[in-house]
Amino acid sequence: MKILTIICIVLFTATGIASIEAANKPRPLQLIIPPGWPKPLYNFKYNPLTKEGFELGRKLFYDERLSKDSSISCASCHQQFGAFATYDHNFSHGYNNTLTTRNAPSLQNLAWQKEFMWDGGINHLDLQPLAPLTASNEMGETLQNVIGKLNKDTAYKRLFKNAFGTAVINTKRMSMALSQFVLMLVSSNSKYDKVMRGELAFAAAEKQGYEIFKQKCSSCHKEPLFSDFSYRNNGLLLDTTLNDYGRMKITLDKRDSLKFKVPSLRNIALTFPYGHDGRFFSLQSIYEHYRNKMVVAANTDSLLLKKIPISNTETGLLTAFLRTLTDTSFLKNPQFAPPGYTITPAFIHYQ
Amino acid sequence: MKLLPVVIICWVVVFCSARLPGNNTTIRFKHLVGSKVLKLFDETYINSFGEPFVISKFRYYVSHISLTDNTGKQTDFPDNYYLVNEEDSLSKEIHLPIASTLREISFMIGVDSIKNISGVQTGSLDPANGMFWTWNSGYVFAKLEGQSDVSPAPAHSFSWDVGGFRQPANALRKIKLTVNKNGATEENTIIITADVLKWFNGKTPLSITKTPACHQPGTLAVQIADNYSTMFSVAP
Repeated sequence: MKILTIICIVLFTATGIASIEAANKPRPLQLIIPPGWPKPLYNFKYNPLTKEGFELGRKLFYDERLSKDSSISCASCHQQFGAFATYDHNFSHGYNNTLTTRNAPSLQNLAWQKEFMWDGGINHLDLQPLAPLTASNEMGETLQNVIGKLNKDTAYKRLFKNAFGTAVINTKRMSMALSQFVLMLVSSNSKYDKVMRGELAFAAAEKQGYEIFKQKCSSCHKEPLFSDFSYRNNGLLLDTTLNDYGRMKITLDKRDSLKFKVPSLRNIALTFPYGHDGRFFSLQSIYEHYRNKMVVAANTDSLLLKKIPISNTETGLLTAFLRTLTDTSFLKNPQFAPPGYTITPAFIHYQ
Repeated sequence: MKLLPVVIICWVVVFCSARLPGNNTTIRFKHLVGSKVLKLFDETYINSFGEPFVISKFRYYVSHISLTDNTGKQTDFPDNYYLVNEEDSLSKEIHLPIASTLREISFMIGVDSIKNISGVQTGSLDPANGMFWTWNSGYVFAKLEGQSDVSPAPAHSFSWDVGGFRQPANALRKIKLTVNKNGATEENTIIITADVLKWFNGKTPLSITKTPACHQPGTLAVQIADNYSTMFSVAP
């Protein structure tokens, strides 16, 4: 009798714990691959998306406490209303009145990229946040301190447990959560996308612009991601205050001198200024570069040896087309706003 | 019910045997500067260029340990990565479950390319340990940092952070050491000495005056790695 009672108690407890565990299990989240897009390159088996992981990542992304003096979050320089680039800034503001030395890239469609930064120096999305967190001219903090701060916060302990099963907080889990948030930043609902899906039609100028784009731009800014993510020398002169040789710094190969990653043109109307050092403040200055000012030298990309002839009329048509790449539903998606907000609030605009 | 004593006995046997001396091999790293025992901060040493220097950090990764015993049997530990850190005496001892007398030991100084391209790792490979380059993904394999009056760098610092897993700047080095009969003490402890002076003097003599800093993969990192790959020996 006694044994039976014990068995019953054990069974009840076991099933009770099991059901609590089931209730606490993170809920899977699906990354929807837009029709016609290639297969994502990120390994989701290694870091499966969950609602809890995404929410933890979003909280981390918007948390200024991750920086040395609690003044800068990831979102300070990656602003939703600017397609997660720094709006209207060539360089971004870092810890203690410092400036970065490169133009903050827009964060979108990251699951389709395998290397990060303008020079491709970072070889895994999960490793990416470690650079801005620790750079003295960005968030200026040490990883040990970041993990220490998170460990002192009971809310984070709970969120890590919800996302990963236990309350262990380490660099790997923090990075995986941040990846889960940024992986969901998919922009695939611009007017261009709607036209491609047959839901809308281009206006006449947009359509002509698209034809010119396909002739003169799309071999590097390849659809549907509007980049082939290769590194190319597009005839930029070296800025002698920055001495940024781009890809060469990573590969140590002289042939890679002044090569930078081809940026995506999605949401281009909001991601100005352009270029790795933000030297181009308008689309017009970009057209001027390719049709006139660029320097053709030994390392210049083979596609640009004759520069790109673009007439004045064509610049207007190209601009009309490029504006169709603005994805308002992405820029205003409340899921991507800070926790508890339905839109990126004014204080995030401040920096 | 008869099963219970058996279970308990088994458990006790397993538990104790894991702790019995003699079933483990201990590799203990001893850090020297020439003939002196390394002391961080407190002592000024002189390298072969006659340059005085003080050491503040001395760390390196040991991985892919392979042990060969006196019967020729080889045991590999491909998944163990150790960060040997002068600041942390516990990190200078590696325990491996090998009982037999050893003839040879080999290991890598550094971290293999797979771990350099597979995202964020944990434990000894956690980037929070300060042995990772975030802007050009990859581990710092070994680090020697300090100060020298002859250093032209700010605050007279010198810092040699060595890494790089891509050709032609691969700084990963394999170390192979013969364990002589007296090398292992009765508790199966092998003492491996690492002489910091070898960093300056090997295939390419390197002075603090000329090269006070190494902070990226490349030629200098490879030269330093070649030099320090000769720093180990089994203590007699």
